[in-house]
Parts: sequence; structure tokens; C-alpha cells
Amino acid sequence: MGKRAIFAAALAGVASFLIGPAFAQETKQDAKKTPSQARVSPVTQDQLNAAAKNSKNFLLTNVNYEQTRFHPARQIGRDNVKNLHVAWIFQTDVKESLETSPIVLDGVMYVTTSFSHVYALDPKTGAEIWHYNHKMGPVTTYCCGPNNRGVQVLGDLVYLATLDSKLVALNAKTGDVVWQSDIADPELGYSETMAPTVIKDKVLIGTNGGEYGVRGFVKAYDAKTGKLLWTFNTIPENSVGVWATKDATGRDMHRDIQAEKDQLAKTGDPYQRLGGGVWQNPAIDLATNRIYFVVGNPSPDLDGSNRPGDNLYTNSLVSLDLDTGKYLCHFQYIAHDVWDLDAASPPVLLDVKDKGGKVIPGVIHAGKTGHIYVHDRKDCSLIRFSEAMVAQENMWVLPTKEGARMLPGANGGVEWSPIATDPSQGLAYAINLHQPMTYHVENTPYPNGKLWLGGAFKVIPGEAQAGNITAVDYNTGKIKWQVKTPEPMIGGILATAGGLVFTGEGNGKFAAYNSSNGKELWSFRAGAGVNAPPSTYMVDGKQYVVVGAGGNTQIDFRRGNNIIAFSLN
Amino acid sequence: MCGKLNWCISGAVALAIAFGVCAVPANAQNIEEKAQACAGCHGEDGKPIDKTIPAIWGQQLGYVYIQLRDFKRGDRKNDIMQPIASSMEREDMLAIAEYFSKKPWPDLGQPRAPKEIAGRALRANSSVGCTGCHLDQFQGDGTVPRLAGMSREYLTKTMDDFRSRARGNNPGMSDLMLATDPQDLAALAEYLSGL
Repeated sequence: MGKRAIFAAALAGVASFLIGPAFAQETKQDAKKTPSQARVSPVTQDQLNAAAKNSKNFLLTNVNYEQTRFHPARQIGRDNVKNLHVAWIFQTDVKESLETSPIVLDGVMYVTTSFSHVYALDPKTGAEIWHYNHKMGPVTTYCCGPNNRGVQVLGDLVYLATLDSKLVALNAKTGDVVWQSDIADPELGYSETMAPTVIKDKVLIGTNGGEYGVRGFVKAYDAKTGKLLWTFNTIPENSVGVWATKDATGRDMHRDIQAEKDQLAKTGDPYQRLGGGVWQNPAIDLATNRIYFVVGNPSPDLDGSNRPGDNLYTNSLVSLDLDTGKYLCHFQYIAHDVWDLDAASPPVLLDVKDKGGKVIPGVIHAGKTGHIYVHDRKDCSLIRFSEAMVAQENMWVLPTKEGARMLPGANGGVEWSPIATDPSQGLAYAINLHQPMTYHVENTPYPNGKLWLGGAFKVIPGEAQAGNITAVDYNTGKIKWQVKTPEPMIGGILATAGGLVFTGEGNGKFAAYNSSNGKELWSFRAGAGVNAPPSTYMVDGKQYVVVGAGGNTQIDFRRGNNIIAFSLN
Repeated sequence: MCGKLNWCISGAVALAIAFGVCAVPANAQNIEEKAQACAGCHGEDGKPIDKTIPAIWGQQLGYVYIQLRDFKRGDRKNDIMQPIASSMEREDMLAIAEYFSKKPWPDLGQPRAPKEIAGRALRANSSVGCTGCHLDQFQGDGTVPRLAGMSREYLTKTMDDFRSRARGNNPGMSDLMLATDPQDLAALAEYLSGL
């Protein structure tokens, strides 16, 4: 037997050894539950619709369907917040990035952790009621940490979207799986970290994957059965657009339109692998039955050479009809983005002043660019943009192989962090990052669901990083006040009728500020990064503020596993 | 004989002979017996027989599966692994990946990096963001590999291969390596191997 024959025979042998019984992927729930059940009443749609006025509970990820993050509880106020202290601490089983928005409804709190765990807790004591430990599939592909930003509850079901791109409905009392649906294939780069939004009979969910060449979407599932009702692809088959050369603020983006048109003629519309993830919840206009959400970056992030055109609807505000998923309007902030300065923070529905001073239904969004954008809800058109909340330098220099310095860095500005608002003051509160970066470009073909950045964005060693909390008058675009922080800020913020805003920092500081002037009124050191949006609620007449302190993968803030609730006495 | 270094690093023919002749019983049925095919290079006890061969005991399930898939597809080139993966189906790949993911990570006995090297590595991490995917303590998850405690030589070779695009199944990693100073990469290899 010659060498070739031996080789072939040996390989055949090796292969045959490795082929065997089919690998049975375990899909059943791997739950560790305490014997108790949550004493929870089914949540009605009417309750959710009226969440803005519910000072007792925290029913939706961003307080209400408008996503104002303004909570009506006012027991904790400017005069007494200095007396706030820890009521309880719950330690989760997962010491990794915490981005959960705690949901509280009569007698039960639901929090999530990285790797898609859910806990039901007693909001008065922090005692665990049940724990759902999602049995993760063998393949997960995700950007920026194994995060989960929370659940939503409707009826007697708790809805969760998982890192392996599944939508799961749990029994609110027991944590048992009622149904589970596949959202998309994680092997192609899809994953879920956002909280679902449940409205009427639908569960709405977006997707991650803009760093992996997916085709993004928002999907609606039947809330009772998990059956897919409609899909809106965030990248239309004609993604070319109008060849915009300027961004939303009028700055030239230095596009080579002719080169792009030549590329389009050569390779066609790139819509199938153009990214466009949806990281955060849509806002819902109950009066018009419309939803509003923002779409993330195109794939690959930094290399635009293979994706000619405006890359619609990446980096855009988009509105759809809730019932059908039909497109209604959009506004693109940055056409043909090559900086990953996309749109991630959830939009907020508010009444705003138009250019003539007339009060109209508006939408506002805080961008990674460091601007807060104010839109007309009717047609998505831009009314104004705010003063820049962070330093902007050298915009829009094109990325180079060697790296081109530009501010903001690719994390923003405002990252996925939800903003808060106080309509009585006409203010929007945003937390910002300042991370000087160089933008590097490389050209590579689509890598079959792998990381596809088209280059790199690098924090510049030796250049100081920082953050800030900024209050913006959304009717003028002027900054009302700003508090500087020693580190970039990511996580979220909450405003209350007590005249306060609450937010945390990567160094573990969690603080309350006067919402009118930014004066710090109270703070606490959590020992791990407080990089999650706070919630507030009331039990037995006492107001609590609760927040996750688990650090952050993306910015590499110190990890922890604590859910911490505070009260006055 | 199996386990001889030169058999595993001198090419596909020698390796295949090693597998075929003595690594695995011809009637191998269960996964443990099948996995013996891998021990010739990756080590009977999880410690690879050569420092440029990766540890796969305790490695992330999703990562091992994706590598096998990519060897089969030809997205990742390797004269030894491509023929082995070529006849495997997805279920086989997942089974073998799961088997190794449940094994304990081997202690390769590599020293901690000196403080100065560790500092340089951590600054590089802060700049390019390795832990954004490889997670805290560089343990990896899903399709992202554990790096902590991998052999320094394999880490160095892999980063070099990404940088030259000789390893082509993760261009995003190539882009990141190209944006990173080679001396920083050397520091990272030394630091990670000592974790």
C-alpha cells in the first residue's frame, strides 16, 4: 500500500470514528427553582396602557409605552433622598455584565442577567421566588457581552429573548416554559439581548447582529402561541436611498458617490448582509397604533466599499404600523455610516415644539453622535438637534488603514443606554461616553456569520476618557445642565416625580441628582459597575429604587452580580 | 507509536497514519473512543504534544464546533484538520465539541507574566477591547474561545496568522490584530498564557 493509499484509508477511518448517533440538542428548560410560586395577578393590557400613571409598579422596560423613563412615584424627593439606604441586596448566580431593567408588578419583581437568566423576586425583601436558567444552544454569536436587558409581562406570561436567539414565554407564577420560538439562526450572527415589547396580542422583538453581516428585522409574534405574525426587514431590497452626502446635522460625510455607484453597478444592492440590528425597544403610540424604533449600523461597520448607497434603513428612526408591520416613515441620521456611530438608544414619544413653536406629537432619540434629535411623529422628519453633549473633533474623517482620530469614539455619545425625560420641565436626560478613538479600515469579504467589522476602532492609549450626565431642553436643543463623570457612562437613567434623576457609573457609584440643576444629592458605592437602568416602585406605601450592579462587558467595567434596592427607612 | 511529536507536526500523512494505526480502536462506538482520534495531537491528558497545537479540553463548545465546520468548508486551512473534518456531519462536530468542552482545562504550567508585561497586555486590551468578546478573565463563551491558559506559542502563532490572514476564518480578528502593535500582541500572548 502506497503512502497515498494509507493516507486515504486512515482518513476514512478517522472520519468513521467520529460519525455516530445524532447529537441530541437539549432544549428543555434547565431550571433551578425554589418551591414557592409568585403570587401575581395577571397583568392586563389596560394596566400596561396606563403605566405612565402607575406610581406603585414599574410595568414596562422604560416605564411606559412612550418610553419616557419618567416615573410618577414622588415619596423619595429632593429633601429626603439623602436618607436613602440599602433595603436589600440580591446576589444572582451570574457575575457578568448586568443591563436589566427590573420590572415590578403587584408583589413580584422580575430581573434578568447575562446569559438570559430570569429571577422572580419579592420586591419588599429581595427573596428569590423562582429562577429560570435558560438552556443555551451550542452556538451563540453576539457582540458586546452576553447581556440581557429584561423581560416584559402580559397576562400570566413573562416574555424573554435569549442570547441564542429564541423567544421564550414563561409562566409568571412558576418560571416554567409555556412556549418557545426560534427567532433567527445564531450561526449566522443573530442574537438577542433586548427586552421584548408586548402590546395587545403581540410580542415585538428586534435583533442584534450588525457586526456579523445579518439582515436586521423587527418581528411580531402572537403573545399566546409564539407564532410569527409579521416581519419587517430593517434593510429593504432597495437600500440605496438618495445618495445623501451630509449627515442629519448638515456635515459633509466625504462620500465618494461615483465610486459607490460604480460598485453598485458591479455587485448590486448589498441588502442581504447589510446589518441593521435593532438593539432596543420600540416606542408605541397607542393613539395612532404606530411603533417607532431605531436601527443600528450597516455591516461591515467600518468598510463601506462593498456596500454602496445610503444603506437604508441603517442608522435611522423608523415607524411602522403595529398591526401589519408596514413601513410608514423613516429618518436616516448618517447615510453609509463607516464609524459605527449608529442609533441604539430607544426613542421616546413626547409632545414637542415644532420649528414654529407649536406643540405637536414628537419623537426624540439620543445618538452616539452626542446629539439629541427631535422629530415630528407624523412623518419622522427632523425638527431640531441638540447641542453636542460630548466633544466632536475631526468629523467625518474617513477611516484609514493606519487609523484616523475622530471624536466621538465608536461607543458614542449615547450608546444603547435609555434616556429619561421630565415633560413638566421639557428636559431629556442622557448619559454619555467620551472615548477618543482611531478608526481603522480593512477590506474583507462576508465571513459567513463571523465578526465583520471591516477594520477596528481603537481607544487611544494615554488620552483621557470621561463621561457626563446631560440635561437637554428638547424644545430648544440647548443644554440645561451637565455633570461630568470620571469615566464613560453606559447603562441608563431614570427620572421621577420627586424631582430626581438616578443613574450609575462604571466605578460603582450610584447617585441621585436634582433633575432641575444636576446637583448631586445622594450617592452609594456598589462595588461593581452600575451600568443598568434603574427602576422604582412602591410596596406597602414605601418607595424603593432598584438597580443592577454587575459592571459592563463592552467598556470592561468591574463585574458583579448584585441587584440592590434602596428605600428611605 | 502515538504521541511522538514529529508524527503530529510533520504533515497530514504521518498524522493520519498515527490516527489510523494506533490512536483509536477500529470498532470505536462511543464518543470517548472516537475522541481518542484527537488525542494523538491534542494530548491524552488535554495537554497538546506540541506547543503550537491548541488545548481543546475545556474549550468552548460553540468555538470547537465552528472550527470543525470551517475546516470542512475550507474557510480555515490546515493540512491535518481539514481531512479529518471533511467527512464529519454537523451532529458529529457538535458531539465532539461538547465532549471536549466538558473536559477540565489542562494546566500547561506556564508562568505568570511579569508585571510590566501584564500591564502592557491590559493596556492593549483596553484599547482594542479583547474582553468585549472573550469576556472577563478571557474565559470565552459560545463561539468565542477561551484564551486564558492557552500555550504562549499557539497564541503567538494564531495572532501572527490572523495578522497575515494565513488564518482566514475570522477576518474580524485579522482586522483587530492588524490594528494592534506586534509588541502588544507579544505581551498579550505572554499574559494570557500565564492566566
